[in-house]
Order: sequence, then structure tokens, then C-alpha cells
Amino acid sequence: MLNFTKIDRNNPSKRGVMERIKDYKEVYNIFDDNKASEQSDRCIGCGDPYCHNKCPLHNIIPAWLKQVASSDLELAFNISNETSPMPEIFGRICPQDVLCEGDCTLNETHGAITIGAIETHISEKGFQAGFKPKFNAKKIGKKVAVIGSGPAGISVATFLLRAGIDVDMYERASKAGGLLTYGIPGFKLDKSVVQRRVDWLIEAGMNLFTSCEIGVDKSIKELEESYDALFIGIGATKGRYAGLDGDEKSHVHLAMEFLTKVQKRQFGEDVENYIDVKGKNVVVIGGGDTAMDCLRTSVREGAKSVKCLYRRDEANMPGSKKEVINSKEEGVEFVFNVSPLKIEDDGIVLVKTSMGEADESGRQSVNIVENSQYKEEADIIIYALGFTQEKPKFLEELNLELDRWNGIKVDDNCQTSNKKIFSGGDGVRGADLAVRAAADGKNAANSIVKFLIK
Amino acid sequence: MGCNLDKLTSFKDNCGFGLLAHLKNKPTHKNLEDAIVALERMMHRGAVAADGKSGDGSGLLLSMPDKFMRKVALQSGVDLPKLYAVAFVFSKDESQLDTFRQYCESNDLKVVLNREVPVDTDALGEQALSILPKMTQIFVIPNTLVSSKRFEAMLYLARKEAEHKLKDDEDFYIPTFSSKVIAYKGLVMPTTIRQFYIDLNDDDFKISFALFHQRFSTNTLPKWRLAQPFRGVAHNGEINSIEANRFNVEVKTESLKSEIFSDEELQRIFPILQDGASDSASLDNMFEFLMVNGMDFFKAARSLVPAPWQNAPYMDHELRAFYEYSAIRFEAWDGPAAVSLTDGRHIGCVLDRNGLRPSKYFITKDDRIFITSEYGTVPFDEEFIIDRGRLQSGQMIGLDLKNGTLLKNDDINDYLKSTQNYEKWLNNNMKYLQEYVEDTFLDLSEYKFDDITSRQKYANISYETLDQMIIPMANEAKEPTGSMGDDTPLAAFSSKNRNFTDFFRQKFAQVTNPPIDPYREKIVMSLNTGLGHTYNILEENEHNSKRVKAISPIFMKEKVDVLVDFGDKNSSNYDPDYKNRFFCTTFTTDIKKALEDLYEGIKLAVQEDNISIIILDDRAITKDKKIIPAAMAIGYINQHLLEDKLRGRVSLLSVTSEVYDPHTAAVLLAFGANAIYPYMMYASIVSFFERKNISDYALQNKLKNSAKAINAGLLKIMSKMGIATVASYRNSSLFDVLGLGDDIVQSCFKFASSDLAGLTFEDIEKRIEKLHFDAYFNDKTMFPLNMGGFYKYLNGGEYHDYAPAVTKAIHNKNATKKEDISDFKGLKSLIENRGQKFIRDFFEFNSDKGSISKDQVESKEEIFKRFAAAAMSCGSISIEAHEAIAVAMNTIGAQSNSGEGGEDPARFNTLKNSKIKQIASGRFGVTPGYLVNCEELQIKLAQGAKPGEGGQLPGAKVTEMIAKLRHTTQGVTLISPPPHHDIYSIEDLAQLIFDLKQINPSAKVTVKLVSTIGVGTIAAGVAKAYADKIIISGADGGTGAAPLTSIKHTGNAWELGLSEAHNSLKANHLRGMVHLQTDGGLKTGLDVVKAAMLGAESFAFGTSVLTILGCKMLRICHTNKCSVGVATQDTDLRTRFNGTVDRLISYFEFLADDVRDILAQLGYTRLEDIIGRSDLLKVIDDDFARKFDFQNILRRIDGIDTCQVASNVPYDKNTESKKLLKKVINTIENPVKPIIIDYEISNLNRSFGTLTSGEIAKRYGDDGLPEDMITYNLTGVAGQSFGTFLSRGITLSLDGVANDYVGKGMSGGKIIIKPQLQGSSYAGAGNTCLYGATGGKLYVRASVGERFAVRNSGCIAVVEGTGDSACEYMTGGIVVILGETGINFGAGMTGGLAFIYDKDRHFIDNINQELVEAIRIDTDETELERLYLKKLLQDYEKTTQSHQAEIILENFRSQIRNFWMVKPKNMSVLPLNPDEGD
Repeated sequence: MLNFTKIDRNNPSKRGVMERIKDYKEVYNIFDDNKASEQSDRCIGCGDPYCHNKCPLHNIIPAWLKQVASSDLELAFNISNETSPMPEIFGRICPQDVLCEGDCTLNETHGAITIGAIETHISEKGFQAGFKPKFNAKKIGKKVAVIGSGPAGISVATFLLRAGIDVDMYERASKAGGLLTYGIPGFKLDKSVVQRRVDWLIEAGMNLFTSCEIGVDKSIKELEESYDALFIGIGATKGRYAGLDGDEKSHVHLAMEFLTKVQKRQFGEDVENYIDVKGKNVVVIGGGDTAMDCLRTSVREGAKSVKCLYRRDEANMPGSKKEVINSKEEGVEFVFNVSPLKIEDDGIVLVKTSMGEADESGRQSVNIVENSQYKEEADIIIYALGFTQEKPKFLEELNLELDRWNGIKVDDNCQTSNKKIFSGGDGVRGADLAVRAAADGKNAANSIVKFLIK
Repeated sequence: MGCNLDKLTSFKDNCGFGLLAHLKNKPTHKNLEDAIVALERMMHRGAVAADGKSGDGSGLLLSMPDKFMRKVALQSGVDLPKLYAVAFVFSKDESQLDTFRQYCESNDLKVVLNREVPVDTDALGEQALSILPKMTQIFVIPNTLVSSKRFEAMLYLARKEAEHKLKDDEDFYIPTFSSKVIAYKGLVMPTTIRQFYIDLNDDDFKISFALFHQRFSTNTLPKWRLAQPFRGVAHNGEINSIEANRFNVEVKTESLKSEIFSDEELQRIFPILQDGASDSASLDNMFEFLMVNGMDFFKAARSLVPAPWQNAPYMDHELRAFYEYSAIRFEAWDGPAAVSLTDGRHIGCVLDRNGLRPSKYFITKDDRIFITSEYGTVPFDEEFIIDRGRLQSGQMIGLDLKNGTLLKNDDINDYLKSTQNYEKWLNNNMKYLQEYVEDTFLDLSEYKFDDITSRQKYANISYETLDQMIIPMANEAKEPTGSMGDDTPLAAFSSKNRNFTDFFRQKFAQVTNPPIDPYREKIVMSLNTGLGHTYNILEENEHNSKRVKAISPIFMKEKVDVLVDFGDKNSSNYDPDYKNRFFCTTFTTDIKKALEDLYEGIKLAVQEDNISIIILDDRAITKDKKIIPAAMAIGYINQHLLEDKLRGRVSLLSVTSEVYDPHTAAVLLAFGANAIYPYMMYASIVSFFERKNISDYALQNKLKNSAKAINAGLLKIMSKMGIATVASYRNSSLFDVLGLGDDIVQSCFKFASSDLAGLTFEDIEKRIEKLHFDAYFNDKTMFPLNMGGFYKYLNGGEYHDYAPAVTKAIHNKNATKKEDISDFKGLKSLIENRGQKFIRDFFEFNSDKGSISKDQVESKEEIFKRFAAAAMSCGSISIEAHEAIAVAMNTIGAQSNSGEGGEDPARFNTLKNSKIKQIASGRFGVTPGYLVNCEELQIKLAQGAKPGEGGQLPGAKVTEMIAKLRHTTQGVTLISPPPHHDIYSIEDLAQLIFDLKQINPSAKVTVKLVSTIGVGTIAAGVAKAYADKIIISGADGGTGAAPLTSIKHTGNAWELGLSEAHNSLKANHLRGMVHLQTDGGLKTGLDVVKAAMLGAESFAFGTSVLTILGCKMLRICHTNKCSVGVATQDTDLRTRFNGTVDRLISYFEFLADDVRDILAQLGYTRLEDIIGRSDLLKVIDDDFARKFDFQNILRRIDGIDTCQVASNVPYDKNTESKKLLKKVINTIENPVKPIIIDYEISNLNRSFGTLTSGEIAKRYGDDGLPEDMITYNLTGVAGQSFGTFLSRGITLSLDGVANDYVGKGMSGGKIIIKPQLQGSSYAGAGNTCLYGATGGKLYVRASVGERFAVRNSGCIAVVEGTGDSACEYMTGGIVVILGETGINFGAGMTGGLAFIYDKDRHFIDNINQELVEAIRIDTDETELERLYLKKLLQDYEKTTQSHQAEIILENFRSQIRNFWMVKPKNMSVLPLNPDEGD
């Protein structure tokens, strides 16, 4: 350990750009044993492990780094999977640069440990070696319904099954995984990886009901009566419009609509009103990870040109730095400091901006530059401006306390105003990271166990 | 106990001592006069009050002045018969004397005379006079035939009975009651003892021997009865193992049978040891008991204070057999000790195994021997002295007055080994466990459990415990190292599962006794463990050598099997003496009842079935059964067996899951376990490595390593208290018990110190229930163990005060403005809302005033004056960090501390100069120039992270710059010894303080102590040793690298130590003489104000300062890899340092401002006004807080609360040195013409040359003056510290001898010592010469004492013989020894060279070969070395006219073959410059 003075930080290698933009396979290669071990060996093993502290799941990162460094894959696998319901997924999709790696002691001076890549390595190599997640074979005779199969749902199910509690999971889509399946493109997260986790849960005894929308296909009252507890993890799926003249035009789309449709077609499903960008000029408005996903999907869909329009400058972009880099590599053009004014049939009218004072969170405000309007040509305009919660009917029926954005109100234990019902993830906090949803799921599972065992 | 009030006035004592005897037993009055002169001339070793009359007591134990006694009896009309005895009695009234006389009569003694002892009370100080007892001599004669035969026995019996009867009468005391000796002692100064005791002036008062003693007590409440000598012993030093010795004497008492006394009489005598006596008095009690029961004088002496034999292969095998036999019956009374003893016929002096006290002797032409702490105590001409020498480590010298023979060490040894056939006895009866064990860890079956993870969880073995402690021990065979102190709560305050042993804090030696170096001085250490019965110690026979022996108390399956087999009737090894039985230590509910039941079962087994090996086994834990904590079970059983007088019949073996680090093992041993089988540690290792496919052989080695690591850790823990053998450590209770209630402490740990009384049996049981639930019912799935969080922060684990949130607040990354560099508000809120984690969190303010406006409060500049940065050396931290601290502190008018490791002279007189310069045990960079460039000199006795331990700076970290500052060689590992080798006791500390006040008279001298129960006693002693300031460091602070268990389990929080020190100083009326400072985890104004209220006048900050500078609590300081450039010497990493002076200043401004806010709120305008005001604090209103007893901390006794003097001026004004300085001051100022001064010196001239050196250093730094600019030609005997911190340009040429610490810290100049009696057989200088010297030359044409040239890093020396441990820790310089050396030569020597003349060819055995090698220099390759040596010897011969050098040089070609050159093994380039030899 402590070899950071001798070994530099290395990211896992990527597939060549010309190759990767032709398909939806993952861009990053997985570390081989030597590389993972070498990179892990850089870790200090701090007295205050900031990575672990920052991680919403509080993964014991230094512990598994040390075990990888000393080639004890089994121990690393077990420790990694103890705190996380799906480390190989978060290793791929977490914005490590704003979480663990961003807080890594070495980040500012020597380059952070490549925590995400090693995390993925551990589980993938572990699976290859035959290790599997373990669940409690002893059942305690309690049953919980989980509504929604996204990161929060998978997490709560995982930890409930570990505690010996039976789980039935309800998903309105035809496949489980929620955002993991439909919201994140395959080049970031291969869909078989998500399916593998779901399959293990089913193997552990979970009943999965897909294409089953609560309030439509099954009543919430029925659920409430037949289960010992409920968990609602329905996410925040409602896309936002910019609120401009022309939002309603037919070449304006929402990010999630676009991504889901593309993904469904990948699954070989029939998709109505497919958004075909092939040969077209695409602009994506927004600077987060979803914007990057849209941009890069557009590239893979064969767009003629792909542009990202963002109000602030590059330094203020909320998305992962590495995704910006990947996008650029793949031919995306970034236009910073522009703010949309209106949508026209052949494009979008913009005004230039400049950066002002930073607010409390450190983010700088935006000033409009006068007389700087211009028009950007575009055939397809995609809004990637974040998500808000939907308010499905069954929530009204339950009469749960909601916040003013329709978020479900919960206490520190993820318990709602109905003691039997727990909730977490984007449905509670609004659009946020998958790993935070999973942390909520873990927290909720612990609370449910305490609630049921008393 | 709950209330530690008595601790405030308790004491430890050290002293000057000696004896004088006429070899032919001729009584003269001159003998008495000389004894008193000797005593007078060691006054500086005792305590003297300002009036010159009051001290801590002195006295004489004299052979019976027969002529005088007969004369005074006759004057009263009593014609004494041949056989008579005199009792000297201190009493309050006649009724006490009546009681005594009644016991005389009931024991067949006839009282013939009561004589009131004539005294002159004008000789007394005020305090002594106010408590002056009535002094009576009672003359008795035998009343019957029986009593004439058993006269001495009856005297003893009568005295013991009277003592028992009047044991509650403090005023009643019998100094002596004997026909052979009589004591004259009391609260008088040596200078006035003769004025006080009029008898002593009578010419007929003739004696043939005298033991004399002057006491230096740490307290100021001396009593008449406490003066020494006692009845047979005068002791200088401290018995570190005293608690264990007292316990063990009680155990031995169980099986006593005497030839002198009947059983009934013995019962009247018991207890052997008087209650409430000092360590020396207890030793005296024991020795006297052995003497009166007819034990051989020399055997008794050597049984109580044995030489080190266990690891001394050079020792004669028969002598070793004697010691091994005697070790069955006696454990060493261990500690620094020079003990003079007498039984009236014999007289002797014995030195402890480590040679930690000075004991010097000389024999005069008129057949008298003098043994004293110093040479020159009786001024004789050199011609009058025919022999001069000193006792070496573990040696004894004696006299048989009846035959008029002098017995030197070898004579005594020859006698000891030849009296019995010990070897045969041992061969026949001693069973060595290892001989029955083929190999260990072959059979692993006992280390496999189906439910191992539950068992591990129950034992608190987490991933972290495995990863940080157990596996490293298995891999490295030693305990791992950590850094940055401990920031977690006490076990009692924690809400997490904690080990029961976490309630116990290790004790350590500071000031009154030294710790030992368990690595470099392991030759004196031993873990030898014996099992079996305790036999009658008064009987020496073959049967009593029956014992099972093991080399260590840490067992494994194989050894346990053998032991069990010894007690198995069906075994061929069966021996009824070793019958054993397993007792299960699990329980279901009611732990207290379970303990009682467990004990009842054991008691029955011992009484009915003669079971002698009790095996306490916790392996029966299940889902339904929990374990009684091992320490609780051991403590309870041990204590109750003792109460039932059964302890000596059994040995306790603990089969326990709780032991997996050295600390847990030490707790069990200290509370009575004889041996430990830590099966769960082994099981954890097996289960960890089993998966890894390592070979059986490799796994076996891992297991062996783990046991080795525990052994090494035990040695370390024992050595911290200065205890060398586990036999003397067992039953010592050397822990502070914090947070356990009185019921638990009383029934399990009553001999230990305790504080914060709190948790009851029920509370502990509740904690155990939670632990048990977590272990057996709270399953995890993927990784079953808990992750930890005890050593390092983990979410959900133990609370850490420097958790990521705190360091993040300090490093506020979002700051855009300078004042926001740290988020102080955030920091404050985190700290203030942490809950009840540390002692101070349980207190809130309770002001007696209304709040005032902040404008009325004193300015922040006033408050800055009270701030200091804690000591951190430039070496432990980077130069960038070190200088930033200095500049910041100097800018705001606070103080920075150099730490020990030198400081670049370029920084002196600039803003980068550290106002505090530290002196620690390594003396690195401690030169005259360093010492004069500061306003405060801080002696670091202990450091928070690892009190009682030394340190090591690995060669890789010794960069060119570090080497330059420390006067050592780049790349050479530097070792700091655990003790200061010039401070083994309080009078030694007084000497060092005196030295420092000579070199830099304007500096304040500070002594840094670490908090522990009893630190108040030490603080009082330090104040009496003339320190100006005392620092009480919290054990939780400390930034240095240290073994993990030391960081976590040694010493106490500052709140405990500070309040105790403050109150103890007040109780002793010393508070006004010294300033008090504290440190340890202070962060906010709240901490500062609370510390002030508990008595601190100033405050030091370590960890917080480093954190401000960028430290992120990585806890890797010891790796040199600090990624933020704070604690590293790596040039690349240092560029990452981003700390700034502004940030530090901003932090201290915040702190001062915060303090001002609080003061305003409290209604006080100045910090000064709340210092010591513990009444302004109260315990918070909270259920959990109510569990604990905080009275010891919040206690406020009457008296002044702050220092009232500018300087604590020593009694010795050193006027001679001042006079001499005046004579040379012109030469110093204008060094053109050399000056020579003739002067007659005596042992009263201490630190000769130091004052002058300081004047030189002030002007010229370490460059000094041109060589020989000032020459002192001296005759006589030089006092302590001759030439200490000598500057270049001074030459001290002495015709005579010198005492201890010659040339200590000298940086230049020359010291030449030419005694009349020259050569290796005679002494020329005392102990610890050249300690930390960095340059100059020392020639002594005789031999010198122990630890010559210890930590020398530059001086060139030639001497003609040395004591033990010469050249220890040496890092540079050249030492030539033209004669015998003692053992342990070159231990820890990493630099420099030594040439040894070894004509008799036994030097090789004396080398500690760990780091050095000896090579011959008569080869082609070593031409340079030969040349160098020759030139040096020629210069030596010319300067000293040494006969030895003359002989060698005359025949250099052949004599060169008798030389060895000793050099560090890894040194390739020799630091020789032949020109320096000239």
C-alpha cells in the first residue's frame, strides 16, 4: 500500500472511438488483475477514509482496495458486496469524481485512486471466480411488497432478502431495473449486468411482477392488506421542459423519452413514435449526465451533428468530467455559455451568457450578455433538464404526506406518514444519483427489519 | 476508588544515601563524624527548604554505640548486662510507651530504663518542630533464659505487636529496636542533625558503621517517621513493582513456617508489611523479617534484588542455578535501587539489575570503606585513598564485620552458589514445559470453530482488528505502529461494543523512576513464568524447587496439553502437585452471582481436592451463554483467593478469547493470571490464512509470530513501568481503572488506582447482552464480522473527534476569503454538539456572575500569550510545516516549540526561531547554541502518544538536513531511549534542571508529564526540583508514531491529570511556585476555558495546528508518505505542503475570540481570574452523566490557583560558578589572550563550566572560542555534571575524580581527568558521561561508570574502563577504551566508532551484537584506523601521562592486536580523520 508516490493513477482503457460509436456495448474495459492490484496499492488507508465517508452507501473502500492489492479477491468481494447491493453497477455508473474519488485524499495532489474501476473489477472477477451474492436461507416469515424495480427497489429487496424477509416486486415496465435499464445507455451499463442482479434476487426467492402497474393492474389497497410492509421506489420520471415558445413543437423531445425508446428498440421491442435522429442535426440542452447520455446515444444513432448547449461554462457542468471527455471523443460539440430563448422549426434561438458570483454551493450564477442573440440550426432538440416526481393515483389513494414537489415525505428511517409504508430514492428526493437511491433502499430495508422484528 | 483525595498528598521518594564502615569493626567517634560530613555533602540530592533547616528528613543507622549506651545507663543507675537492646521510640504520649512496654514484658523482655533523648529544638524548621514527637530510648534486657536465647526474635515480636496494636496512631513509631543497631533520624537537615541529637556530640558515642540517608520526597508534607534509614535498609530509588511485591508477600505468608517463631507467634507478627508504608519501608519490612528468621544475609539481599540471570548467558551456571532457585520463592523487588543493608553483623550495598542508581565506593588507608551516591563526599587527599570503584548493574559489595572481611561481588557470588547444590535440585524437580513439547502449533484442531464469526464478534474481533492488529502480528511478529494519537472516547463513555480491557489504562514511569528499553536492554528482561505451589520461603530445600516453568506466560494448545497431562492420574507425567481442573467462565444472567459461584467452585476444588492449576475457560460460549470478562474473573478470583489465604496454592491459567493484543494480555497478568492461552487469536489467524492456501509450515510460523508479538508487547508494557520480569509485573495492578464503579473495583481490582467511578455490574451485564446479541443474533450476510472503526474512523463505528467532517470544516474548501479558510463556526458546532464523548463534555458552566460586554474582556493579544504549539520536531514534520508554525506563533506573541531534533541556527534571532526548545531523551541537536536561543527549555519526560517508550527515526527519514540538525549521519537510524539517561529519579531531574538553569539562566525550565493517576505526586516533586512550569499532557493527544496499543491504552485524558496536578500542588503549597500548562485534543474556546478552570494557565495545541496546516488525519506519519507534505521529509511530497502562516493565525484568532466570547458570557474580564475555578463548572443534568463520579476533577481545595513567582530559584545558587565566570568574562568578550585559572573543586561544585559555556554560546553559538582560550586547572572531586554542555574553547583539567554526567551534551572543549589512582581498576568518573555530546574531547585515565558515551554523537573520548551499556545509542564520535567494559556494549549504536583494548579476550561476550560488529585492525585494510588510534593515544598519553597508554604505545606493534574496533554493521564509510587524533 501507499505506493502513490511510485505509481500514477490510471483509468481503465477504453475501446477505440471508431469502434465504440458503432454499437451500444460498454466503452470501458475492466481492469485486469495486475492493473487492479497495482492501482489499489496506491491507497493510503487513511485514518479518516474520506472516500468511504462520502460514499452514500459508506462502502468500506480502503478495505477492499487493500484486499485487491494483496490479491484476496474473495475477501474484497465479500466486503464490497456487504455494504452495496450492486457494486459492479455503481462502479460503472457512479459519478466517482464528485463522490469517492473526488474526496480521495490523493485527488488534489497525486490523482485519486481509481475506485470505481476497481469496484467493478472486484465483482466482475468475483463472479467469474464463482462468487455470488449470498442471501439468508432462513426465512423469518414476513413479506414485503416493493413497488418499482429501480436502484432503490433492487437495494431494498437485496437487503430484505439478506435478512430473510420475502419480497414481491412490482414493475410497470416490461423489464426490471427502472432507470438502470431504460435511463442509462448500454455503452455505460450493459443491460445484462442489471439483469444478472435481478436474476439473483429471483433466485433468492423474490417474485417479480413486470408490466404490472399499481393502481392500474393491481390495487394499492390489496397490497397494503396482503403485505407486512410496503416500499415505494417509483423514482422521478417526469421530464422537464424549458418553458419556451415552441416547446410543443414536434422536433422537441424529452431526454428520458428518447433514451427509453432507443433502449426498447435495443431489446427488440416495437416502439411507437420512434425518435429517429439518423442523419439529423441534434442539439441537447443541459449539462448533466443525462444530457451526455442523449448526446452519445445520438452519435450512435447516426446523427449528422450533435451539439450540447449549456448555460454555464465547462467548469460549472454538473455531470461527470469523464462523460464530457467521452462525449467529446465521440464527436460531440459543446457550446457553453448559451441560454435558449425560443424554439423555431429549424433550430433554436440562443443568447450568450457570462459567469457571475458563486452561490453558497459554490456554483456560479449566470448573467445574460446583451445583444448576443443568435440561432443554432437543429432538426431535433432534446431537453435534458432534469426530472420531477410524478404523482401516480395510488399515492393519492394512500393519502401519504407529500412535499410540494409531490415527493413522498419520509423520516430518517425512510418511513412515510403511514408506518407500514417506506419509501426512498428519487420518488422521495427528486432526481438524484442512483447510488443515493440505493442507500435509501438499504436504510429502508434496515428500518423495515426493525419494524417487522420489533 | 471513587475519591482520590489521599493521592494529592501521597509521595514518592528518592535521595542521596550511603554507608561507612570500619573494615575491622573498630568503633570510633570519627566514623560518626565522617558519616555526617558525607551526608552534609549530598544535601543537593535531598530537598531543602528556603530556611535551610527544613527538608524531607535525614538520618543515620548506626552500630550500637555500646560505650555510650552503657555510660548513659549507668548515669541513670542501670548497669547494663552483656545482652541488652535499645528501642528508639517516637511517640505522642506516655500511654503509647506503656503499650510498648507491656508488649516487651509479655515477650519476656525486661524494661530497665526509659531515657528521654536530649534534643535541641533550635535545630528544627518550623514544620518539623510543630510535629516533633516525644523521643524516648527504652532499654531492655532478657527476662528469662528463653528470651536470652531468642533475644532478637523477642525484640522483633514485641515491636511488631506494639505496632499492630497502635497501627492507627500516626505518631507512634519505632525507628529501631535492636541490640546491634540504633537509628538517629528525623526531620532534620544533615547540617543540623548533630545539633539536634545532642548524643551525637559525645566523644564516647563510637560506632563501627553507619548507614546514612537524605530524603527527597515529592510532597511537602514530610513526617518524622518517613525519614530513612529504616531498621536494616537505606534505599535510594523506587520499587516499581511494589504493588506486586506487597501482594506476593501476602501470598507467601500463607505457607510460612519458621524455625525461630512458632505458628502462633507468626500470627502475632503478621502482616509482615506495615500498612501504608513507602516502597522502601516495605522492602525494609521484608528484609528484616527474613533476617530475624535466620535467613542468610547475602541470600536474602540477592533474592530480593537479584542480578539479571534469565538472559545472561555469560553468567556462571552454578550462580544461575542459585538465582533460578531463589526465583521460585522470591520475585525481584524491581526498579532503580541502590540499597544499603545491614543485619548488625553484615553490611552491604546492592545495585539493581539495570544499574540505574549510582553507588560509588572508596577505601581509605585507615581501613574504612565509604559507599555513597557520589565521590568526594568525605574530603580526603588523593593519597589517602587506596581503592576507588563503583557497583555495576546488579552487583553487590559487602562486609562481614565479625571476621573483618570485605566481600566484593565475585566473593559474594562464590559464596551464594556453593552453599547448596542448587543445580541438582533444579535438575531433579524443575519441569520445563518446552521440554515436553515437540513443537508448537502442529495441531490446529482447537483453533477451528463452526461458529467462529459469532465468537469473533463477541470478542470484538472486527475486520479492522484483524487487519490492523492480529494479521500484522502474525506477519511481522511485532505489534503494528500508528500515528496521530487517539481521538475516541473512554470505553465507559462509548456507545459501541468495547473490550472490557479498554477500561484499563496502562501506567508508565516518569521522573521518579525510569522506564527501561525492552529492545536494547533486553538482557535484563524476562518473561520466565512459573506455575505450581508457593512454598515456605524460609526453608531452603530440594522439595521447594518443584515448579513448572515456561519461557513465557503466553501458551498454546501443546503447552496447555502438557500442563493438563501433569495433573492426569493416568499419565506417566502425573504429579499430584499439579492437579488441575477446568472452570467454565460463561454465564446466562446475573454476572455478579456467576462470579461468586465460579469462585465458590474454585475454592472448594482447592480446599477439598488440592487442585493447584485453575484453568478458566471461556470456550463454552453459545447462543444462550455469555462470557464473564476475563479480567473481571481473574481479578475477582485472585483477590478472593488471597483473602481466603489460598492464593499461594494455585496458579491461574486463562483460556480466553479476549486476548489478541499485548494490552489485553497485560491486563490479565497484572490482575493475577499466571498464564494465558489466547486461542481465539490463533483461531482468527488460522481462519484468515486457511483460505489463502499457505503451507502448514507457513501457517505455523504465523501463529508463532503472533505469540512472539504478544511477548514483545508484554516486555514493552512492563518496561514502561521500569519492570524487568513478568514475575514482578504479575499482580502489580499497574493500570488506572477508569469508569468502573466502586463495587466492581472493590471486588475485582482493589489494588489498582481508579477514577470516574461509574458503571456497575448491571451496566456491564447490559453491555455484554448487547454484545452477545450482536454476535449471535445480528447476522450479516456477505462479510460476517463487524468492520471496526476503533483505530480509524468508519461510518457507524466508534466516535472520532477528528472525523472527516471535522477535518473538512478545518480545511474549508469553499473558502473564498482569508477569514473563511477554516469553517470555524462549523468546527465549533461539530465539537459542541458531539454529545458526551470526553470528560469535559460532562461539564457545563456555572458562573457566579452575570454576563458582561465583550469589550470589557481582555484583548486577544493577552490571550495569545497563553498559547503554544505542542512540541513537534523538525524531522517528524517537514521543515516547511515547522517554520510555518514558528512564524505564526511568533507573529501573534505565542510560543512555538522546536520539538527535539535541533533547529537550524540560521533561524535563531528571526521570526522562525522557536521560543521553546525541547530536551528529550535522545538529546538530538541539544547543544549550547540551541539551549541559549530560547525563552523556555522544555524537558520532555513523556509524550502523550506513548509515555514510557522511546522512539526511532528510520534511516530513510534522516535526510542530509535532518542529520545536520541532529549532529548525526545521513541515512543512519536514530534511536531515542525510553528514559532520559540522566533522570532515573527526582534528584536527577533536579540536577538536569540545575544544569539547564546554568547554561541559560534567563530561560524558564519546563517539565512535560503525561496524565495518569498519581501525576499530582510527580508534579509536586517536579516543582520541588525547581521546574518553572509543568505541562500535563493528555494521553489522547500526541502526534508521533507509536505502537497501536500504546496510542490507545496508555495514560489518561488531560482533565484527570491536570486537576490532580493542580490540586496536589495546592495541597503541598507549591502551586504558587510553578506555572501549569495542558495539552491534548484542545480545539475550541470551550476547551480552553474548561482547561483553565481545571487549573491550566496556558495551553498547547498539536493536532489542531497540524490539521490547520493541511493534515488530514491519514495516520501514516511513520511511513514518510504524508501526501500533504506535513509529516514527511520526502522532497517531492513536501512540495505538496499548502499550509500557511495566515491560516494558523486565523485559527488562533478564532480561538482567542471564542475564549473572549465565553469570558464575557461568564462575566469575567480576564482568563487569569478563572484559572483553577473548578467551582465555575458543574456536571450536566443528564442521566448518563449521573452514573459517573467527577468529584476528583471538579474538586477545589483552598489556596492560590496560579503561579506567583517569576522563577523557581534553586536552593543552590551556584555562587562559585558565578565568581569564576566573572574572572573570565573579559576573555569571553574579547578572546585574544588565553586565560588559565587554578581552582580547588569539590562535589558541591555542580555543573562546573556550564554557566561559562552558556555565556560563550550566547555570543558565538556552537562555534565557541578558539581551543584552550579558557583553561581551568582543578584539583579535588568534581560534582555532578562536570563540564555539562561545555562550549568550545574551555579546557577543564582535573587532578582528581568526577561524578556522574561528565561532559553531558558537550559540544566542544576538552575535559581531562587525572586521578591519582589510575588505570582500569579504579574509578575516574561516574555514570552517563558524554550523554548526547556533539563534540569536544574527554580523557579519563581511569575507568568510568555505566552507559558511558550514551547517545554520543561527536565527542572523542579515551578512558581506561567502563561500566555496562557503554556506547549505547551512540550515533557519532570516537570512543577508545583501554580496559574492561561491562556488558551490553554498543546496544542501539548506529554510528560512531569504538576501539577496545581487550587483552584478556573476553570483550566479545560483552557486545550487544544486534547492530554492531567488532573487527580487528591489524590488517592491511585497516591502516587508516591504526594510524588514527595511534595518534589519538599519543595525544592522550601526552596529556594525561597514563601508564596504560604508555605501555600500549611502547609496544604498539604487538599491542594493536589486542584492539577491537566496534562499528555499526551497516556503516561503510568510517568517520575518521587522523588529523583529529593529534
